Amino acid sequence: MRKAPVLLVVLVVGLAALLAAGCAKKAKEAPPTPPPAPPVVQSPTPSTTPSTTPETPGSEPAVTKGDFTDAFFDLDSYTLRDDARAALDLAAKLLRDKPDVNITLEGHCDERGTVEYNQALGEKRANAARDYLVAAGVPAARVQTLSYGKERPFAEGHDESAWAQNRRAHFVLR
Amino acid sequence: MRRLPLIVLLAALAAPGARAQTREVRIDIAGGGRRTQLYCEALVAGRLPAGAPAARQADEVLAGDLEQSAVFLVARAWSGQPPFDVQAVTGGRWKVAGGQVTLEGEVRDFPARRPILSKVYRGPAADWRSLVHQFADDIVLQFTGESGVARTRIAFIAPAGRNKELWVMDLDGAGARALTADRSIALSPSWSPDGSLLAFSTYRDGGSPHLYVVPAAGGKLFQVSARPGLNTSPAYSPDGREIACTLSKDGNSEIYVLDARGGLPRRLTDNRAIDTSPSWSPTGREIAFTSDRSGSPQVHVMDRDGGNVRRLTYDVNYTDSPAWSPRGDLIAFVSRTSAGFDVYVCGTDGANARLVVSGGSNENPRWSPDGRHLVFASNREGAYALYVSDLDGRSPRKLDTGGHAAMSPSWSPSPHSSAAAVPTDVPNSNPGGRP
Repeated sequence: MRKAPVLLVVLVVGLAALLAAGCAKKAKEAPPTPPPAPPVVQSPTPSTTPSTTPETPGSEPAVTKGDFTDAFFDLDSYTLRDDARAALDLAAKLLRDKPDVNITLEGHCDERGTVEYNQALGEKRANAARDYLVAAGVPAARVQTLSYGKERPFAEGHDESAWAQNRRAHFVLR
Repeated sequence: MRRLPLIVLLAALAAPGARAQTREVRIDIAGGGRRTQLYCEALVAGRLPAGAPAARQADEVLAGDLEQSAVFLVARAWSGQPPFDVQAVTGGRWKVAGGQVTLEGEVRDFPARRPILSKVYRGPAADWRSLVHQFADDIVLQFTGESGVARTRIAFIAPAGRNKELWVMDLDGAGARALTADRSIALSPSWSPDGSLLAFSTYRDGGSPHLYVVPAAGGKLFQVSARPGLNTSPAYSPDGREIACTLSKDGNSEIYVLDARGGLPRRLTDNRAIDTSPSWSPTGREIAFTSDRSGSPQVHVMDRDGGNVRRLTYDVNYTDSPAWSPRGDLIAFVSRTSAGFDVYVCGTDGANARLVVSGGSNENPRWSPDGRHLVFASNREGAYALYVSDLDGRSPRKLDTGGHAAMSPSWSPSPHSSAAAVPTDVPNSNPGGRP
């Protein structure tokens, strides 16, 4: 009977260690994932399929995805914030300087909201970003749009930091 | 003599079963609260050939169907569940011979055990579940005046990694099969009113989502709309001649009605806001849809020509996913909460909105063809799964999707509903898959 407290202590310490390990693991589990690759395409209609080639061969110096910053949005909103406008100003300059670079703007949403509403909301975001670029002198023909709604999240978490990551117009070179 | 039409109807429904005897017993379930207590006794089976479905399997399928009906409380005799306040007893005989099943189903009142329903069902052994489901539907018909939904199916979307495929299964989870294997994102299935086709939206072509149709029994996919921008949220009209959907070909998401092959788009909304998620009234005269024209998403109703738009509710915040009941008198929808969504039901004028399902996030409510149940997707137990609730919302029942996550359910029509002019010619007339 006198051993019971010792056992108890061992148990408690062990449990605490387990919990700590669990927490540490959990904290590591949800870093923002890298931007998604374009969807796997098995298309019977090549005419509507955007090319997934990242850049035009022979263009130099190459523009890369990293030169663009995505435009982020508030909840349920497709209004361009100041930081989104700044990102789009830089993108517009880059696109004016490199007339051979064409882009797709993907609209994305956080997981709140229905599938169908988010598809429409994502399109509003992509269109808002496209309209801004066009107003800044980028020919409309060089900017395609596509909405994934909430179907291709960048961050898999279920909290505000993940949601904020997922509300965006995302640049893809094509 | 007044019973004759009912007997004729039952005999017609029982094909290929042969004979039917009925005694009219009607129990009013309009109140929704009280359920008839049924005691299910095991089917009597002789020696069954090797590999034949056992009577006990049939017993369980029948008891499950009767529980699912929301009409009965069920006690299983073979599980040692005692009869409690029993009003009727089910039972009968089960024979399997020569690749054929014969089910002699009986319902008797209790305790007198006078016959209420006695019917014979015959069919190929491979279709034995269907015979049991017919018996269950006939029991519901006998007690309520309307057939049950045991022979209906559920279409749903199953996540597979980052992708989503379209699946279909029997209501009780049997016969599940994938209708797409595109390794893309399939969304928003909608049944044609004869149950033969499913329209859905998919990213399979790369780029924006397009509308496709696939036979519900499996087969080749046919493209019905691949216009620039969104082609989403399809909904077959009640006569099967048209598909309402969301297109953004003109620069903004609007509700359109296409013919069932995807042609002749007719625009119903014209508004800078988001308009999506159309759901037809059963008469086809009106369409409920979601719009954020008032600032946040709200369910609205309009006439089939796009006129007479009115907001459905003012006392429920942020509403979406409308589903018009097959009886025509109710609209189900979701309202956003801090945890996701709750399911509500209200009158078609927005009156008497009441909470039906809450706890976790509860999404995409869709009606059973008899209007007694709602199927919806919920993460109330962790991963998204499908649940069925009665309108009283008590203890939603989880559907069996084999342990796989599932969302975006859509409930098939009843097998004997016969809608006119269903476009079964879509596949043949559109071999290239282009509108």
